[in-house]
Amino acid sequence: MREVYVAGIGITSFTRLEYPLSEIAAYPAMLAMKDAGLSKVDHVYVANMGSGRLNHQSGLASAVVDSLSLTPAGAETIENGPASGASAIKQGFMAVASGLHDVVLVTGAERLREVNNLEATDCVATLTHPLAEYIYGVTLPSLAAMFTRLYMQKYGVTERHLAMVAVKNHDNALLNFYAHLHEKVTIEGILDSPEAMTNNPYVAEPLRFFDCCPVSDGGACVILVSAEVAKKLGKPLIRLAGVGQATDTHCVHERAEPTDLLAVRGAAAQAFKMAGVTPGDVDVAELHDAFTILEIVESEEVGFFKKGEGHLALERGETRLDGRLPINTSGGLKAKGHPVGATGVGQAHEIVLQLRGEAEKRQVKDARIGFTCNFGGFGNNVVCLVFKRED
Amino acid sequence: MALEILAYRCKKCGELHYPLRMVCKKCGKNAPHEFDTVPLPKRGKLLTFTTVHNLPPDFDVAKLTLGIVELENGLRITGQLKIPSPKIGMPVAGKVEVVREADYSKNYGMVFYPA
Repeated sequence: MREVYVAGIGITSFTRLEYPLSEIAAYPAMLAMKDAGLSKVDHVYVANMGSGRLNHQSGLASAVVDSLSLTPAGAETIENGPASGASAIKQGFMAVASGLHDVVLVTGAERLREVNNLEATDCVATLTHPLAEYIYGVTLPSLAAMFTRLYMQKYGVTERHLAMVAVKNHDNALLNFYAHLHEKVTIEGILDSPEAMTNNPYVAEPLRFFDCCPVSDGGACVILVSAEVAKKLGKPLIRLAGVGQATDTHCVHERAEPTDLLAVRGAAAQAFKMAGVTPGDVDVAELHDAFTILEIVESEEVGFFKKGEGHLALERGETRLDGRLPINTSGGLKAKGHPVGATGVGQAHEIVLQLRGEAEKRQVKDARIGFTCNFGGFGNNVVCLVFKRED
Repeated sequence: MALEILAYRCKKCGELHYPLRMVCKKCGKNAPHEFDTVPLPKRGKLLTFTTVHNLPPDFDVAKLTLGIVELENGLRITGQLKIPSPKIGMPVAGKVEVVREADYSKNYGMVFYPA
């Protein structure tokens, strides 16, 4: 296998965007090409989940490759639910590693706000089992809520721990220009004050409004290249050193231990093995906190903390920007936003910024190894990536 | 005739599945129609639950309680709960009722009541 490097990155604000989906995909791609100093690519992957259903557009990659005037380069749309972004990066990795292509552009884009939030939630809920989950009104927040209740009972996680994730990630997002929510929140305001139930009502008990990510539009792009190309471009050498992917049962109720996220565990283990590093080597990580509970549980399943102890590390401040292992420096899905197909690419974007030392006010000092976890379905399809700075 | 939700028993190894899958999870027997159907038991205990306040557009109610129930034969099912204040571990009994109506079609599923 050939080594694969990230030569360029680009991103839009994650927010409500009033321009067409194909432009949301193309704009970060233009920025990434400028960043890399490239005007031609061999292949384009576009990560997206909802274009057919939400935006009445199919074959998104064909529209994007032409809009970028990159024809006749090959182009494909990759749909893998909320893990579409990292899945598309994995496809790009395979294309370069195999020797098939030297320069691959991976852009993720989503325009959820073309519909209202209930329809957007319903669109994402079509990931669930059609006959055994979806028909009952099961949505991703409700699966996360049922999971949270079990986790609280088994490991002593409380609403306060969940709120601490929200406070931390909102604080980080204040330092990220591209984040969806620039809004400082406090434990008092969302949990303790008399107004807390108004500020922070239940969405799916025990999860509240501030435990759930916003519904965002947005796009993000990374350009993956071979070592030969990377060395010619003269950018900091950031290698995509490990990719891992694992799946789990479609129905959450079929999992032997319902508090385990085995696909996260499996995907992370593969990615670390390929990269030749351990979870203890990681300097900065982006985890898929579509719900606050997920940041805590993923931090355990990927191996940063022991099972059932993620919330204790959070209490100790270890995952804060100034902690031992900063998690979700971008603001995470919680506050940076969750434009579904773009999310995994957005996570990679943040890690590359950190490893290049370009993360400005939220820069983690001397970050050399970064990790992302992109969580599809309710943990039924997970892709993890490890990035290494090599110069 | 009482409405039933069906579980699927592998003809080779006897493993029960819900919902239907194409290949047996236990023995990997790979052949079409290799499952016998058996009705799911209706009684069990509540494994976990949530009350959802933010429902898809098909639901014309302000909130809905959903749960996962561990049935008497060990299989689990996701369903709706009509239980005023649910508790983890409580015994429940299910009925097959309309759980979602969309585009003039009725979807039937399991609704649980206190046992």
